[in-house]
Amino acid sequence: MLTRTRFRFSKDRMPPGAAMKSQSRKLVGSVLIRDYAIYFILVLIYFAFSMTTKGFATLNNLILILLQVSVMGIISIGMLFVILSKGIDLSVGSILAIAGMISGIFARNDPTTVNVVLALAIPIILGLVCGLINGVLVAWGRVPPLIVTLGALYAFRGFIVWYHVNPVYQLNSWYRIIGQDKIGIIPVPVLILLLVTVFASILLNLTRFGRYVYAVGGNENAAAAAGINVKLIKLIVYALSGLLCGLAGLVFTSRLGAAQSISGDGFELVAIASVVVGGASLFGGRGTVGKALVGALLIQIIQSGLVMLNVPSPLQKIVMGAIIISAVWVDLRIRKID
Amino acid sequence: MDYSVEVFESQYSGRTRIPFLQKVRVVVNTPRKAEDRPVSQLSGVSKSFTGTNAVRHVDMDIYAGEIHGLVGENGAGKSTLMRVLAGLHPDYSGEIRIAGQLERIASPRQALSLGIAMVHQELSLVPELSVAANIFLGREPNSRVPWLISNKRAERNAGRILAEIEADIPPSAKIEQLSIAQQQLVEIAKGLSTDSKLLILDEPTSSLTEPETKDLFRVIRNLKERRVAVVYISHKLSEVFEITDYITVLRDGMKVDMKPSREWDEQSLVRAMVGRNLSEFFPKSHGACSEQVALEVEKLTRVPDFKDVSFKLHRGEVIGLYGLIGSGRTELATAIFGLSRFDTGLVKVNGRTCKIRSPSDAISYGIALVPEDRRVLGIISMLDVRRNLTHANLAHLCRLGFIDQREELQLVSDNIANLNIRTSSIGSAISTLSGGNQQKVVLGKWLNTDPIILILDEPTRGIDVGAKAEIRSKIDHLAAEGKAVLLISSELPEIIGMSDRVIVIRDGQIAGTFSGEEAEVETIGRYAISGSS
Repeated sequence: MLTRTRFRFSKDRMPPGAAMKSQSRKLVGSVLIRDYAIYFILVLIYFAFSMTTKGFATLNNLILILLQVSVMGIISIGMLFVILSKGIDLSVGSILAIAGMISGIFARNDPTTVNVVLALAIPIILGLVCGLINGVLVAWGRVPPLIVTLGALYAFRGFIVWYHVNPVYQLNSWYRIIGQDKIGIIPVPVLILLLVTVFASILLNLTRFGRYVYAVGGNENAAAAAGINVKLIKLIVYALSGLLCGLAGLVFTSRLGAAQSISGDGFELVAIASVVVGGASLFGGRGTVGKALVGALLIQIIQSGLVMLNVPSPLQKIVMGAIIISAVWVDLRIRKID
Repeated sequence: MDYSVEVFESQYSGRTRIPFLQKVRVVVNTPRKAEDRPVSQLSGVSKSFTGTNAVRHVDMDIYAGEIHGLVGENGAGKSTLMRVLAGLHPDYSGEIRIAGQLERIASPRQALSLGIAMVHQELSLVPELSVAANIFLGREPNSRVPWLISNKRAERNAGRILAEIEADIPPSAKIEQLSIAQQQLVEIAKGLSTDSKLLILDEPTSSLTEPETKDLFRVIRNLKERRVAVVYISHKLSEVFEITDYITVLRDGMKVDMKPSREWDEQSLVRAMVGRNLSEFFPKSHGACSEQVALEVEKLTRVPDFKDVSFKLHRGEVIGLYGLIGSGRTELATAIFGLSRFDTGLVKVNGRTCKIRSPSDAISYGIALVPEDRRVLGIISMLDVRRNLTHANLAHLCRLGFIDQREELQLVSDNIANLNIRTSSIGSAISTLSGGNQQKVVLGKWLNTDPIILILDEPTRGIDVGAKAEIRSKIDHLAAEGKAVLLISSELPEIIGMSDRVIVIRDGQIAGTFSGEEAEVETIGRYAISGSS
């Protein structure tokens, strides 16, 4: 006997999208808070200082803040790539010192073509090489990133102090263009930071490599199962961080007009703080270029504001510490809500 | 196509049975044609992990347009067999033919290129990336701009695949915003995006609710109509009956039988799954238990893991707590021990109500828990045998805050002698011991806390037969000494052979209690597995 029966399953009980839609409406609010809270906070704090501090809300001061954040911004973007891949780079300050010092040595010499090219290219190449050393040790040596880059923090610093302990002054005037000149009203370092930001955003959001950085940090096993070369991604991430530190070293030395072997001491902590305040997860996979930059800006604004308010230096540090912890605490709470 | 409708009532659909809620099963009879070649043909496939044979000489033919159920007890080798097919265990032996061609499946990538996709029990998605990015991870579509990838195209293609399986999920949503059920669907979409001809689903409903399961079934039926072969691994028999065309039963890594689903019924399936001989020796020499209640649990509830669980455990008694993985048995044990919380209910020790907020509270009340996963909660692998044996009761060994070395050494050598722990020295790292001896150390550690109540969660899992027998006889001795033992195990013969009473837990509730004489493999297996879902 042939019996035909049609069956209705639960999709008829409720249109399949219904649950999702009501859920997504609820999501919009929390996503807004979660994804854009940091920008609101930035604006809020900027206005708070504008009200309380005389001369804070001027265009000159705004440009000054951007100028001050440029070096740390470039380093933070490199750090973001590393942190996204579930790594960490503690050696950024030391790499900056190596790059800046060697660059400075060439910038003091006569402005022959060779010297000019070397002064500009050497810091970036050195940064890249230092980053590659970190990357090889992390990816193929399987040494934890914290240990590799902690070792590198000491070793690179030791190297540059041993190689050239005395500061290098009297850099040629052409060299100072990078750090001290302006195009229109925009200082060159701010332009460089802007270029790096755009480049990094495209790299992270629109290229295969960027996608794989998120995948490696978010779920390394899933990435490997999808045929992604996890080791290569890790190598590139550290190389990129090193390269950006080299660039930051160039800008830093040029702005200062001098190269010192102690430059960049403690930068790694500020860079990590910037990325984390910008909502990135130290467990990898989460964070954006824009927010990392906002994190760096936030820290810079608070620092500048506190200086202008004549807050004593030890108290500034206490405030910074509290801000770093509370930023992450708030971020975690918001995440728990959804 | 020939449809027939069978109306049957589930025998164990609960006490309150509503007449019109009869279960109806549609059997679509698509007889295999002679010229059909199986999509995948396994012959003599074996896979062993150090020492144990997980899968032994399994033959299995999987045809296009068929949903093939793969069932068996925990540890029967279902997942392992399918992981071989998905390229995750390249060191298998035996032959695998895909569409008639002999293939050596060496990597997940190769399996994918052969059209085999597996949706694993634990999800393998990147939570921070979008649905589309996850579906095309590793195969991102290019943008027109060189070097760049196109999110738009990925989302469009993902939307198409999701629509095909009628999953209403926006391709741009991030995975972390989705429910588990939706993530499950994304996994399936990912599997299908490679144009797979064979999709393996490993316990896909373990974290789904009833309506979500129904939606998933609709998707699976759609796949079937598109001539995709589906292997469906599950231990929920009602689901297996509802969705599959063929059922293969594995037991101890070997194939017991393969028949069309309609030729199985619950009884024969359960028998095939659990019905093994009580060939192993189970000592039960301890006499009748005393009247003194050591542990009383009253209406213990924690949504959604367990609900209204009540029982009394006497001194000198062994209660076997049987249930499938996910039935709530381990959750119950850890809640009694204070490792996790419970919502409502009471735990009484020796008749007194106890507030157990942490394992240290539990220890002070005389409760010990030998945990399920030795490597996670049992041993500290970097430490030696001595430190592993004594770290739960260091306070007893301390004089003025210092560890009394001589007493510790004495205790440890007593333990080693009593439990017959085979180790080269007391200073050997515990990781150098065999699994069975590691387990004896864990047991010894808890016996050193001088407990009245022993909760043993899978005390003999993954250890060799000799060590199993030793641990079982030790448990029996402990009961004879007057300890109260709650024994949790996936091995039914062990439960039945060791226990004075057996409590069956299913979906977090007690499904039945049996005295030692009533306890039979088939009955208990049936209570644990089937019934109303």
